[in-house]
Amino acid sequence: MEYIDFDRLLKICRLELEPDEKEKMQKGIVEVIAYFDTLNSFNAEVEGRARKEEKPGVLREDVVKEFDDVDGLLKNTKTYRFYVVGPKI
Amino acid sequence: MSSIEEFYSLEKDKEYYRDLLEELGKVNEKLNAFNNINEGLSSGFPFSAKDNLCVKGVESTASSKMLSGYVPPYNATVVERMLRNKFGFIGKTNMDEFGFGSFGLNSQKIAKNPFDEHYVAGGSSSGAAIATAILKYHVAIAESTGGSIATPAAFCGVVGFTPTYGTISRHGLIDYSNSLDKIGIMARSAKDIRPVFDAVKGPDGYDSTAVNAKLNSNNTKHIFVVDQLIELVDKRIRAYFEALLDKLSSMGYSIEHAKIESTEAAVASYYIIAMAEASTNLARYTGFKYGLKNDNFGESYNEFFTEARKYFGDEAKRRIILGTFVRSASVKEKYYYKALKVREVLSHSMHEILEKGFILLPVMPVLTPKIEDAKKLSPLETYKMDALTIPPNLCGLPHISFPYAYDNGMPLGAQLITSKFNDYALIDFVEEWEEEFKYVFKYNIGAVQ
Repeated sequence: MEYIDFDRLLKICRLELEPDEKEKMQKGIVEVIAYFDTLNSFNAEVEGRARKEEKPGVLREDVVKEFDDVDGLLKNTKTYRFYVVGPKI
Repeated sequence: MSSIEEFYSLEKDKEYYRDLLEELGKVNEKLNAFNNINEGLSSGFPFSAKDNLCVKGVESTASSKMLSGYVPPYNATVVERMLRNKFGFIGKTNMDEFGFGSFGLNSQKIAKNPFDEHYVAGGSSSGAAIATAILKYHVAIAESTGGSIATPAAFCGVVGFTPTYGTISRHGLIDYSNSLDKIGIMARSAKDIRPVFDAVKGPDGYDSTAVNAKLNSNNTKHIFVVDQLIELVDKRIRAYFEALLDKLSSMGYSIEHAKIESTEAAVASYYIIAMAEASTNLARYTGFKYGLKNDNFGESYNEFFTEARKYFGDEAKRRIILGTFVRSASVKEKYYYKALKVREVLSHSMHEILEKGFILLPVMPVLTPKIEDAKKLSPLETYKMDALTIPPNLCGLPHISFPYAYDNGMPLGAQLITSKFNDYALIDFVEEWEEEFKYVFKYNIGAVQ
């Protein structure tokens, strides 16, 4: 099985877990990855088997449209005076 | 006659919708079918939308704290088409958070089985199935990624239809896994699924994966049973399933046995692909454009992002971690690309059989579990419960789940699978089945006396 640096993985995921939560989560994750490793025993040779299906969808015209409910959109944001604000980057 | 036609032929008094909503509210307190009920419903045949579908002006959370208070300013295409066809919106149905679950437990309110509240309703479209089982006149718009329609439909004793990937637009769906998500329909009869599917299918300028394809009804009298998958099933279910096959033989169907390549690898492959896609989809919940907001704008991007992600439930966190891991540069060949290859091999193998007939399987390998027992399962044990619903879902194949027996009063479901774009053949089959087998419902809210 692959070595997992769990702390680094959590950092990449931008997740913080409490110590007991972390222990429980890590146990479940290791078990699932060990199960994913069983894929190695399967021969999955796809050459000559891929089935391409061309069923084109319909694209809308690439033109700017007025959105009819801008207030509704902004209801889901935080605002400061007349700015929509986010964190500093 | 479909119940939609029956509904419009009935004489209903002015108080009909008021009484219906009042009774529904009471039952909902017990079963947790709906996250919210539309108290303003006053016309049309009622339809519900799973809580991961956007409905303009109605809180849409996908049962996640992360989206608490999110009110979309537009309708999902499927919702828009239902409203245009004069269906009446009755509410948003409960589900496992973002679709992550098979039992309806990963929600702020645990969904309960309408036949016995101590048992699970199935997931992730748990509320859609309960609503269908308790309302006399109603259809549910649900969604399946790996079995989220077939499983709850089976546990709640209703018909669950998952069409070919791409036949119903996903515009306005809160994505879980874009290459696997399929919007579908639940009803008390295949007769009600047909007109709803007619109304909502078809291409959509807002979803380039919504295909413009002719949908067929190539019926067949050949049914294949996949032995490797039947071996995973509880003995008691196997006995009921054998009785179903006998019944179908007497109806003129020939039953044959088949082997499908790579079925043993399907569950791992499905979860690798689904989690990889889920982990990227959930990255949008950063706490400012999407996701619950905090006011600490002085924090750096990473601090702010990490703070916002505390609102995810355990299963969502688990899938972010696993999905991020399998996409890592050092291992993606081993897990993610291998899973994509398995999907191709499985699709090819299933296609070869489906060219000759239908595939029929039980929906779940176990009888409906009690809520307390399902809670004790480890994540891996829970994932393995999807072994029978994953093959058609992983390959984007249309399938329909229907009740075929009752064990101590609890329903059992089987699923019929066909080739892509042969969706109407499934509806024809279940309509024929319903001539032979009568479904049982414990509640009939909205029945006209």
